[in-house]
Amino acid sequence: MTRRAVISGVGHTDFGKLEGRSPWHLEAEAAAAAVADAGLQPSDVDGLLTDPGPSQGILDGITPHFLRMGAQLGLDPDYAGSEILGGAGSVAIVERAALAVEAGLCDVCLCIYGDSPLSSPGSFDYARGDESAFGFFGAAGLHALATRRHMHRFGTRFEHLGEVAVAARAHGARTPHAQKRKPISMDDYLASGQLVEPLRKLDCCLVSDGAAAVLVTTAERARDLRTPAVRILGHAQAHSLSTYATPEHFDRLPAARCGPRALGAAGLGAKDIDVALLYDCFTIVVLLQLEDYGFCKQGESGPFVEGGRIGPAGSLPVNPSGGLLAEGYGSGMLHVIEAVRQLRGETGDRQVAGAETALVSGHGLGMNTHATLVLGS
Amino acid sequence: MSDPRPPQPQPDALTKAYWEACRRGSLEVSACEDCGHLFLPPGPCCPQCWSMQLGVRPVSGRGHVFSFTIYRRTYHPGMPEPYVVALVQLDEGPRLISNIVGCEPEEVSVDMPVRVRFEDVGDFKLPRFERAVDGGGTS
Repeated sequence: MTRRAVISGVGHTDFGKLEGRSPWHLEAEAAAAAVADAGLQPSDVDGLLTDPGPSQGILDGITPHFLRMGAQLGLDPDYAGSEILGGAGSVAIVERAALAVEAGLCDVCLCIYGDSPLSSPGSFDYARGDESAFGFFGAAGLHALATRRHMHRFGTRFEHLGEVAVAARAHGARTPHAQKRKPISMDDYLASGQLVEPLRKLDCCLVSDGAAAVLVTTAERARDLRTPAVRILGHAQAHSLSTYATPEHFDRLPAARCGPRALGAAGLGAKDIDVALLYDCFTIVVLLQLEDYGFCKQGESGPFVEGGRIGPAGSLPVNPSGGLLAEGYGSGMLHVIEAVRQLRGETGDRQVAGAETALVSGHGLGMNTHATLVLGS
Repeated sequence: MSDPRPPQPQPDALTKAYWEACRRGSLEVSACEDCGHLFLPPGPCCPQCWSMQLGVRPVSGRGHVFSFTIYRRTYHPGMPEPYVVALVQLDEGPRLISNIVGCEPEEVSVDMPVRVRFEDVGDFKLPRFERAVDGGGTS
């Protein structure tokens, strides 16, 4: 009988400034929450995949993150590893867990993201080698170049970026655990200071301490668990590593390649997706993905988001928990978790009515990496 | 305790020749001797055909702004805001990250023709770009 991978447990910590707790404390708390959510015991876990945040990565210059995490959780799994794909890492480890479970390499695979950049040493400000000599610092610089291209080519306006920021905060206001629960207006957005023009402060995601975990197992194993299984209908990755040399870099994301593959595997099109969980490190990334996943045509994402279409009352709710712009920086694992909760119908005030399909994306590093999951109830 | 100087390039075995050419006031890109592909940054092989028969070719230093951003926040004390970081498309094909200098940040635009101008920064001559009034590349 074919083994089909499903998600059967999710859990996370608070997100925000969480002083006095190391990333390890946070990751352990998220792991325990995910195992409890499924109604399983730690001894049931036989797979461990981790997405170490930017301030962790490789430890002591040599120890891979999963090795210390496994030691601290007392695990001797049959399958283990860490993925360093930036913001695509969490979606990618859930995908890798699905592949491992379906191949019979393990039965219950724990996927963990965690980091505490606000309270522990580390940095989000990275520069790539000699480019720092020109003052090119941070992920914001790269995304500012993409934003400028979109404005130049398609006439995208600040108000279009603002629609994404305003929608995220409106969603966050309905999410009890969100780091930012105060809605903002378009005027608030336009008044927020320019940081790396054309990006304003409110175009940029939050920086958060926190951890999140997801359990992947087989449909058969999930039958007698505490929570309803969420099916993994499709998945794919695509990357753009040659960066500036690629003609379309900054104009299209690798989502344009892996999106159709993930949706195709699920037998769905963008029009069939009830709730979209789109990685939103910067507002422009949401606009680009709306185009690259086929929710609208290339160049038309600005007009597409007008009038609150991706907000709580819109026809395509994007990131109903608030995403990286309002819920908290969870690398993409919070996006997976919100998709699972929406498909289980357990999200209260922010529940998308009749949600049966979800698309989840991860996008990372210098617009280089991308991963997609299509989930179904 | 912060170093007031801007960060400096860190030449290595791959990029040493590039920075030495800059010091002579010459912008030189990597050239594949097998397929003719021109590229930046310098690497161990041609990113198009993987040949390791590589040379360098001086280029015109002319191109246009592919995209740009204005830093309105000071990330480093040696780079006070505002300043322009641009992805410059050279007429010969390769692209590089640099600064647009010699005009107000607000005067920079996508597709603006530019030409290289070397500026002393510490021990280096950095290839920066200024508006090319007599035309350059266009997209």
